[in-house]
Amino acid sequence: MADYSHPDLLVSTDWVAEHTGDPGVRIVESDEDVLLYDVGHIEGAVKVDWQTDLQDQLIRDYIDKEKFEMLMSEKGISNDTTVVFYGDRNNWWACYAFWVFKLFGHDKCLMMNGGRQKWVDEDRPLVKDVPEYPVTSYTVSGIDESIRAFKDDVTAHIGSGNPLIDVRSPKEFTGELLHMEAYPQEGALRGGHIPGAANVPWATAANEDGTFKSADELVSIYKDGKGLKDGDDVIAYCRIGERSSHTWFVLTYLLGFDKVRNYDGSWTEWGNMVRAPIEKP
Amino acid sequence: MNIEEIIEEFQEADFQETLAMLLDYSQGLPNLPEEFVEARDTGYNRVVECETPVFIFVRLKDGKVRIFADVPEESPTVRGFVALLVDAFDGSTPDEIENAPTNLINSLGLDQKLGTRRMFGLSAVYSRIKSEVKKAENIQ
Repeated sequence: MADYSHPDLLVSTDWVAEHTGDPGVRIVESDEDVLLYDVGHIEGAVKVDWQTDLQDQLIRDYIDKEKFEMLMSEKGISNDTTVVFYGDRNNWWACYAFWVFKLFGHDKCLMMNGGRQKWVDEDRPLVKDVPEYPVTSYTVSGIDESIRAFKDDVTAHIGSGNPLIDVRSPKEFTGELLHMEAYPQEGALRGGHIPGAANVPWATAANEDGTFKSADELVSIYKDGKGLKDGDDVIAYCRIGERSSHTWFVLTYLLGFDKVRNYDGSWTEWGNMVRAPIEKP
Repeated sequence: MNIEEIIEEFQEADFQETLAMLLDYSQGLPNLPEEFVEARDTGYNRVVECETPVFIFVRLKDGKVRIFADVPEESPTVRGFVALLVDAFDGSTPDEIENAPTNLINSLGLDQKLGTRRMFGLSAVYSRIKSEVKKAENIQ
């Protein structure tokens, strides 16, 4: 049986329970629902919200280096802190936050397998106390854009033979739906997919309980099933880049692909862009 | 509090205070009365535009609007907003609800504070209450 390429990046709920008071570890909850953390969270965990904390509120982009440094400092995270992410909805937003932390070059990032739901299902305690940590000094030494794709990168990818993975639902891929079922707020003017993209819905990589599938299963889905080969230059996208950060995590850390980029503009950019080529079966 | 007073309170609130108020509201949402449970379980009156399963039941009694709602506890933001609407409008007259501001979410400042991506579902819930009130009036 094959193992994940970087099994050390995935930690269990047990591991997290044992490290709630570890000063070298900061647990970060990142949810779709901005209030869920306030209802109750893992002891010692801090909240990082994907929209109000990580995104710039004026331009469609992430916060800048200085704001990220300030955010880390406020959350008591130093450059050498081990950050463990978890969240709602199968860790979508946790993967998204993980990816943004990597954009800013944070070194030690871990993911709690199964996310918030698994923790709750195991009847583990949640607390309401918001911890306060001493302010740290944090320095971003550079932005790692090797994991982020922009529209021009995607255009260059089309027809190059390099794989594009569309992780949306089959109906969004075919253009039958302009948005994920029940997520109409993030629609686009055109339906379909980026030419040449293969459809591998993100959930294909997850078990019912929100944990990641085994390495053997992932190999059979992405490599045997969709023909991804070691050394491939892969771009993944969805609608706003959150489901594809889940797939980015799987391809990068569980299957060990060296060059995987998340196209966070995703379908809300591509499907609205004038003259962008679109394929529809 | 009526809706104008609620708006005023939200306009004066900063981000953390807004979250705290929504959380308070979400904890105060009354349980769905037994008579609507079966309808909910069969999927009636779900606000389909909202990604969270939200169910709204509107009835007109003695000229007053009654609003009953169900939202899961795992979605406290939506639950809080729905509870705010119930608090503001349960017991109002149909006219009061009809005349309530159309752009309520902007008036409350929620789009600015919680991010625009979260607002569509909330708008849909609010529109649903307004349209259900009209529907109930027409039935009478």
